[in-house]
Amino acid sequence: MPQQRPLLEIQNLSVGFDTNRGTIRPVAEVSLSVYPGQTVALVGESGCGKSVTALSILRLIPSPPGRILGGRINFEDRNLLDLSERQMRSVRGKDIAMIFQEPMTSLNPVYTIGDQIVEAVTLHQGVSTKQAYDIAEESLNDVGISDAHRRLQEYPHQMSGGMRQRVMIAMALSCKPKLLIADEPTTALDVTIQAQILELLRKLQRERGMSILLITHDLGVVAENADVVGVMYASRVVEFATVEDLFDHPKHPYTEGLFKSVPKLGSQVDRLETIPGMVPNPIRFPAGCKFHPRCHRTRACAAAVESGQAAFPPGTMIPAETAIATDSEGERFSVLKKCAADEPSLGEVQPSHWAACHVTENFERSPRSLPQLDHRREVVPAIVEDGAITV
Amino acid sequence: MFSYVVRRLLLMLPTLLGVTAVVFFVIASAPGGIGASLMSAEGGLRPEERRVMRAYYTARYGLDKPLIVQYFNWLNHVSPIGFKPKIEGFPHWPIGFKAPDLGEAFSTHRPVATTIIEALPITLLLELLSLPLIYAISIWTGIRGARSRGKFVDVTLGFTLIGLYSLPSIWVGVLMIGFLSNVEYVHWFPSNGLHNLMSDSMTFLPTRIHGHLERGWLVDMAWHLCLPLICLSYGSFAFLSRLQRGALLESLGQDYVRTARAKGLPERAVVYRHAFRNSLMPMITVAANILPGLIGGSIVVETIFGIPGMGKLTIDAVFSRDREVLMAVTLIASLLQLVGNLISDLTYAVADPRVSYVD
Amino acid sequence: MSIERAELRETLASAATTPVMAPASRSLIRQAYHDTLATTSARIGLAWLFLLAFFAVFAPFLANSHPFLMKMNGTWSSPALRHLAPPDVLLLIATGAAAVVGLWRKFSFLRSLGLIVAVVVVAAAPVYLLVRPPVNVDYSKYREALKSGGIQRAIFAPVPYSPRDRLRDQPNARLSAPNRAHWLGTDTNGADVFSLLLHASRIALSIGFIATSISVVIGILVGAVMGYYVGNVDLIGMRAIEIFEAIPQLFLLISITAFIQDRNIYVMMAVIGATSWTGYSRFLRAEFFTIRKLDYVQAAIAAGLPQRVILFRHMLANALTPILVSTTFGVASAILYESILSFLGIGLVDEASWGAMLQQARAGGAGFVLWIAIPPGAAIFLTVFAYNLVGEAIRDALDPKLRKRD
Repeated sequence: MPQQRPLLEIQNLSVGFDTNRGTIRPVAEVSLSVYPGQTVALVGESGCGKSVTALSILRLIPSPPGRILGGRINFEDRNLLDLSERQMRSVRGKDIAMIFQEPMTSLNPVYTIGDQIVEAVTLHQGVSTKQAYDIAEESLNDVGISDAHRRLQEYPHQMSGGMRQRVMIAMALSCKPKLLIADEPTTALDVTIQAQILELLRKLQRERGMSILLITHDLGVVAENADVVGVMYASRVVEFATVEDLFDHPKHPYTEGLFKSVPKLGSQVDRLETIPGMVPNPIRFPAGCKFHPRCHRTRACAAAVESGQAAFPPGTMIPAETAIATDSEGERFSVLKKCAADEPSLGEVQPSHWAACHVTENFERSPRSLPQLDHRREVVPAIVEDGAITV
Repeated sequence: MFSYVVRRLLLMLPTLLGVTAVVFFVIASAPGGIGASLMSAEGGLRPEERRVMRAYYTARYGLDKPLIVQYFNWLNHVSPIGFKPKIEGFPHWPIGFKAPDLGEAFSTHRPVATTIIEALPITLLLELLSLPLIYAISIWTGIRGARSRGKFVDVTLGFTLIGLYSLPSIWVGVLMIGFLSNVEYVHWFPSNGLHNLMSDSMTFLPTRIHGHLERGWLVDMAWHLCLPLICLSYGSFAFLSRLQRGALLESLGQDYVRTARAKGLPERAVVYRHAFRNSLMPMITVAANILPGLIGGSIVVETIFGIPGMGKLTIDAVFSRDREVLMAVTLIASLLQLVGNLISDLTYAVADPRVSYVD
Repeated sequence: MSIERAELRETLASAATTPVMAPASRSLIRQAYHDTLATTSARIGLAWLFLLAFFAVFAPFLANSHPFLMKMNGTWSSPALRHLAPPDVLLLIATGAAAVVGLWRKFSFLRSLGLIVAVVVVAAAPVYLLVRPPVNVDYSKYREALKSGGIQRAIFAPVPYSPRDRLRDQPNARLSAPNRAHWLGTDTNGADVFSLLLHASRIALSIGFIATSISVVIGILVGAVMGYYVGNVDLIGMRAIEIFEAIPQLFLLISITAFIQDRNIYVMMAVIGATSWTGYSRFLRAEFFTIRKLDYVQAAIAAGLPQRVILFRHMLANALTPILVSTTFGVASAILYESILSFLGIGLVDEASWGAMLQQARAGGAGFVLWIAIPPGAAIFLTVFAYNLVGEAIRDALDPKLRKRD
């Protein structure tokens, strides 16, 4: 593995939103890193905090009510959270660009495509308007839009959703950013267009060597694109590993549940499993591990403890005590007391594999390090190639 | 675009027909009909003179005929196409183009068209001055409010603006005249009319005559227009300002604003180039709603400040129950309204590329 | 003026764009009701409106030239009560019923409203038959009799002048500045300004309420007919709405009222109501069109449920709330229109009205009488302001966009 420093390193980032029922924390102590040329996927259900994390990197959290409560976001040896607003503006669009989920509404309806791309180009590259139009035309060509010269004069409403997302990508890449944050770039698009857009992103990444932080809830997209994956659940990163590791040996019960709820090609299953319960509302996060009301592992262990035959995964040093938990439907059941009381933080349970779960092999002994994985995928993991596997 | 405008203009005809019909029948169904109001001015006449006059009016307006006939009679007079009177010595086609005739005012016995031509420019001047004024100020305060959202400035501004558009213009007008153009308090502004009595002898621009500065015709008029303009504008201004604030806040929450920020644009560019342009759409849409307020408001303002515009004309016509003037004024007011709607729609198409009338 | 109409249209439009998912739940309305009451500005507005309502109901007891109680030739009598007109008595009965129902707290809001209306309807006939106030009134006779000793003792209302009492016994009292006898001075006719002010609140409030009710009823009927029957009916209805909207409302009002000879309060209510219904119709029609397209309505129609039942039930649950909210602004604009018409001299004939008082303040068009100018204008302003504040608060409370933000 080449010895490199991460391009982007998020350390213990916490973000709060002030509401009239107190401050909620949609992002809590999130750590992850992105190396040059790498694609890191951040995957999780909607509302888990992944988009807020992405917006925090560019400091685009609407404020008020949003507030960054703590942590560091290091980008090329600078902590983005320490920069002045002016310095931050020269990072946005130039070093780090972002594309969004809704191509239909992310472009300003009253300006032409050309105007909107040129605006970014002239801002960051200090070129004349004429040169900027040439650059814009070129970047439209790069994202596979034919007849780019004419398209520059068009308005967003004259284009299809896939076309607009291409325009967004062209706009984002027009200033040759080092990191592209793609926040659910294909969610709003047709399946066939999704594949095209992702293929385009992969191609552009190969050509330019930029890093991509891919926010998605689509495991298929992760499998096809990511080198390294962070799984988020209820404001926290609960697992961080290479894509191969994660798909072959998930450690966290939530990740396990995710894979069980996805159909696999070639396997004969009558019914897919589901994770019981619902994603908790940030206003009422449960105490302890936020997953414990839905966690099959802690339930199984608690049941074992109560029947007098404690059988924990090897290497766990968790007290054999149980507590009563309540799920979102008000049903009561036993869980391990530790899970209901203490929130686990990310630990390196195996070399290059981080997880945050008390009931995981080696968890208590694992070093609590910041996740860093300079890894590039080699093979596509053995799961379906269907783009529509959603969490 | 052109065919759209033509179509809209043609569609105005049935609406105008309806408007005039409504007003005509309302007037005509008043007790005693239109005849009663004509008779009110003939107290000093001898019986035979009165008889002759009634006969003349009855023949002139067909007062002995059913209402519907009277209405079509009026329409025929007003319309540029219709039945033509027979003129000796000319070949006669019964139907064809003719000069539209708005009739003669009952009360002043002057052609209605002349009175309108005198009054209309004054009202139009008031409205065309106040519209840009209202828009300019309300856009400015609206942006201020939105940008300092939730802060002291915004909250006070919001409260003040609701207060401002709750202020009855009749009160404001009376108080302004009472305090600002009253020798007992301060006499900063003239209280009546559009010009000083001496304005005919004034030069157009301010000039120095015999060692002292004379204000001239233009400044004199501007001075006379100050209070009426304020009185006419403040209500719409308050309404529009709140609208602009809401619209800008709405736009600032849109995805394309986030995109603009993600590009690294400075906040000024984000607000003024991206959010503001979009927030103008509702402002353009309500222009059509502001207009009746201004036309109606001009009635109040012109009455209070004694300005001889359409509003004053209307009120005078109403008091002398002058059918011909009132019908003409109705026609013009609704025409203004409909043209205003059309202009607002066309402006919208210019401002928003998603809307086009190319078909 | 027409700003309020635009305002109303905006309210209705924003209500129309909110997704109509399911009938507005009762708890949402209750929540909105509490949110509204929690707003300081709405509280101030409501407080003023209640005060005004109190003045309106009890005006004959607050300002009256007729003594409340008097002893004449050794016998006690109450000229004030004897001079109450049937509407005064009905208003008192309605207020009493409202007080009883309100304090009892046993009925829902709509049922209480129904009860009060029922009481008034039942009471109307006997009241109009039995209450016969004297036709010819001499306001100054009590003062003269008191002075000459014809009346031994008399207890007057706090303001001992009726609005129509032109003080014929005190010819010098015309246009007098505020003093101890006349707290707010007198007008050009010699009438007491404070008394006029109190009595005018009845005109303003009743015209505001009833004219708006009329316009809402017309608006709902026309809108529902258009929305239900679509096609040609809709086409004709839309043209009618366009015609009414092509004439500036004040303009239409002036044209109509000017040609009505006997402009009593009922006529004014009807005319103002009949010219301000278009916004409601437009909204209801649009609502019908939206609801028709909803999947579950389509499904219910496909399943054989009568379309009429589905549409109207849905309408009742969904569209009425925003319409009722916007009536708050409607009342404000009706009050403004009434005052403008009275000011222009084509309003009510021979009734105390704020607008007419403002006209008086100009003393024939050229002068300025401070003490007549300030109170009625302030009263119009405060009332319209109060309605707008309350309307704003309700609208904010019902706006789901704002709600989502907490």
